[in-house]
Parts: sequence; C-alpha cells; structure tokens
Amino acid sequence: MPDAFAARLHVEDLRVRLGDQIVLRDVSFTLEAHTTMVVIGASGCGKTTLLRSIAGLIAAEHGRVVLGGESVDDLAANRRRIVYLNQEPLLFPHLNLFENIAFGLRLRRLSERFVGERVSELIACLELTGLERRYPQALSGGQRQRAAFGRALAVDPALLLLDEPFSNLDPDTRANMQDLFKQVARERGISALFVTHDLKESIRIGDSFAILRDGQLRTFGDRQAFCADEQSGVDREAAFWRMVAGADQK
Amino acid sequence: MMRRALAWALSGTLVAPLFLLVLLSLTRHWTWPALLPADLQTRQWRDLFALNNGLGAIVLRSLGMGTGVAVLATALGFATSRSVARHPHQDRLLVLLHLPFAVSPVVLGVSLLYAFLRVHLAGHIVGVMLAHLVFAYAYAVILLSSFWNPQVQSLTELAVALGAGRRHVWMRVLMPLARPLLTVCLLQTFLISWFDYALTLLIGGGQVSTLTITLYQYFNSGDVRLAATCALLLLLPPLAALGLNQRLRSATVATRLEAWDA
Repeated sequence: MPDAFAARLHVEDLRVRLGDQIVLRDVSFTLEAHTTMVVIGASGCGKTTLLRSIAGLIAAEHGRVVLGGESVDDLAANRRRIVYLNQEPLLFPHLNLFENIAFGLRLRRLSERFVGERVSELIACLELTGLERRYPQALSGGQRQRAAFGRALAVDPALLLLDEPFSNLDPDTRANMQDLFKQVARERGISALFVTHDLKESIRIGDSFAILRDGQLRTFGDRQAFCADEQSGVDREAAFWRMVAGADQK
Repeated sequence: MMRRALAWALSGTLVAPLFLLVLLSLTRHWTWPALLPADLQTRQWRDLFALNNGLGAIVLRSLGMGTGVAVLATALGFATSRSVARHPHQDRLLVLLHLPFAVSPVVLGVSLLYAFLRVHLAGHIVGVMLAHLVFAYAYAVILLSSFWNPQVQSLTELAVALGAGRRHVWMRVLMPLARPLLTVCLLQTFLISWFDYALTLLIGGGQVSTLTITLYQYFNSGDVRLAATCALLLLLPPLAALGLNQRLRSATVATRLEAWDA
C-alpha cells in the first residue's frame, strides 16, 4: 500500500557554499511522489552536500526546497519530515534493534501498543525477526543497514534521503539490500533521493536519474535517456564488458 | 613462570601498603624487631570516632565538598568540552587546559589565595571548593572533549532527522552515550577534591578541615597508628566508587551478552 505521507520534492536554484568553495550551483529538479531518483557523480562532487542541505543539516546560500507543496526552508531539520540515511549503517549503540527502530516513534509520544505493532511489522518486513533484543555490535553489516532502513521507514517520512547506503556491504548482501529496497519502495510508495557512485545500482533502483558534476545537476526522466547520455558512463561500462567477453571468446 | 612472578610482584607492590595500613590500624603494640603485631584490636577505630574532634562532621564535609566539586566540574566540563571539541583552535585550548597540571598546585594556590583574600573567600569552604574546581574542571574538559567525535556528531544529526529536538537529543542520545565517560569523570573529579592537601591548606588557612588535612595532623602529631586508621577511612569512598563502577560495567556487559544469546 503506497505511503500516504510520501511527498513530491521540488528544489529550485539551490546554491550551497562550504567555506570558500561553492559546492552546489543553482541546482533545480523535481522528484515526483512515490518515486526514487538516483543521483550519481564522482567522489567529492557534492552529492552528500545536496542531501544534507535538503535535510536541513547544512544551510543553503540561496534557493528553495519545497516538499509536498510547502516550503521547508524555514523549518529546522527535526521538523522537515525528511530522514537522512547515512553511508554508515548508524544505529544508536546504547539501544537494541527494537529500540533503535522505535526511536523516532517514541519521540512522537505514540502509544506503546502502536509502537510495538509498527516496529514488529517492520522487523518482519525487513527479515530481522528474532534479533529484536540484539545490540548493534552483535549485528552484521547487512542487518545493521536493514535496521537503519526500518528506523527511517518507521516514522513515515515525507522524503527519504539515502547516501550511498549499501556501499560498505559485500556484493551479495548489497544485491539483497537493493532488491529489498526496490520491493519496500514499491510496496510503500516511498519518495526517495538515492545517491550512489555505482552505475549498476543506480540503474537497478532508479525511476528517474540525475548526474551531479562540478556542482551542477542534470536530470533524466527515464532510464533510456540516462543510459544514452555520455556522462552517465553506461557506454564505457558496456564497452568494458564487451571487451571482457571478446577476450574470453578468443 | 616469569610472568607469574611479575604478576605477584605487581600485586604485592599494590596490596602491601594497604595491608600494612590495616595491621597498623588494628594494633597498639608492634615494635621492632617483631615481624607481626603483638595484638589485634579495634581500639583505634573506636578512638577515631570517640575522640571529641568532630571527625564525623569532617568526613561529611569532605564527602560533600568532593561530591559538589565532582558534580559541578562534570556538568560544566561536559558543556564546555563540546565547544572546545568544535573550536577551530581546539589544540591550543587543550594545551591551555593542561596549564593547572603543568604548574605546582602551590604556585596556583598562591595566586588564587591573593584573589580569594580580596573577595573574602579565603578560609571559607566555598573558596576551597572553587580552588578544587579549577583543577577538576580543567580535568573534566580534557577528559570529556574526547567524547565529541564525528560518530557522535553523526548520531546527533540522525536523531534530529528522526524528529528529535534539542532536549531529546541530550536526554535520549548524548547523555546515554556519554554515561560511562561521565561516571569516570565524576569519580576522578571527586578524587581530585577528596585527596587534595596543598590547596585546601593554603586557601582554607586551617579554617577548613578535611579528612586529608586531618590525616596529616595525626601523622605530624606522631600517632602513626591513628594516622593509618584515618588513611583507611580516606580510602573507603574511592574503593567503594571503583567497586560500584565495576559492577555497573559488568551489569551492562552482562545485559548485552544476554540479549545476544537470546
């Protein structure tokens, strides 16, 4: 069932300066509700800065962020209904898995019964059943990332910002997490901005695409347009695999 | 074999002085060349509290001063350490904070005494506590500044993104995360005040009696056995605090291991 809270994001002329350097130059784009936009770009190109400024963790020098038709520029980060999921699967080390997922719900003073039901549902959905009482140090990397994902989903965010969330996982766990994300995003109709530098991951996950380069963002409405663009790197990737296949045949 | 011998030597070095104090506190007749005391009795312990010298009040005052200094230093130090850890000149500030420990307490005490005399704090318990606080506060800031690492910053941002306001961030994230370090800080700053002699004597000017000062008085009067009994009394709170700290740590580890097994 699509999440009723997920909202449309519109970013207009966003400019962010860190120290003397302008990291984002007049970035504008729209993310439709219940879809995932993947942003790719080289390391240090400003992908994390883009997410952090939308989340309200960095102040923008100029521009507007509109979520669900309302400007969130004047709202503190804790009031934007945007959850930022880090590259590191950060769990609160003093809380067990259940308490970690329940963290955001308990801040909202919801009844313990509701919290229990909601968290149990997410634990089952994310295949974490039986690990409820474990502390983060007793969980694997994949389990920690799933728990962090569940904690983000628990609060029904209007927008989910994912900053290379699977980059520290081994290839198998990473593929499993990509499938799980796609499934949960489709079932719950999540609005998400997903940053990665992995081309295959971007194509697997994205409904729409964007390339961030030199502080400027170019968007693509569908996979074909994205793959056809030279800057996406799809051509180079395909040429590489053709060369490998050709070498094997010889 | 060598390792076992070293372990015994280390244990002996640490335990022997305490054992000697216990024996001295439980005997009146132990003269050279006897290897062991001629008698064992509790008279000195009874004398210590029976003497009309207000020792009970001194113990309570020392405990109160130590607790007050520890709570103030830890609370102020925790708040200050955050600013220090985020300051662009953090290294220089930390060097500055080491200054009280780089000079002798007596040297610092003389300048504090001059200032306290002008504001009528010399010879007063508040003045002595403020003098202790200079050292305890600097120590607390140095110790607690290590807490504000990038991971704590990320966890704080995460809590904010999940909807936590400033109060929730402090109560539900920062305080629980810092609790082990805060416990250590409370304990250490308590000990700074509890064991202090030079500053207490200088600023207190004989008007503020603490257990450490009383211990020196017994020693100077030549009653080594009463001094030994008093020294054991001085060791009780730190040992109790260490034991409590160990129990708390063990309980936390046990809870987490139990959760792992479940």
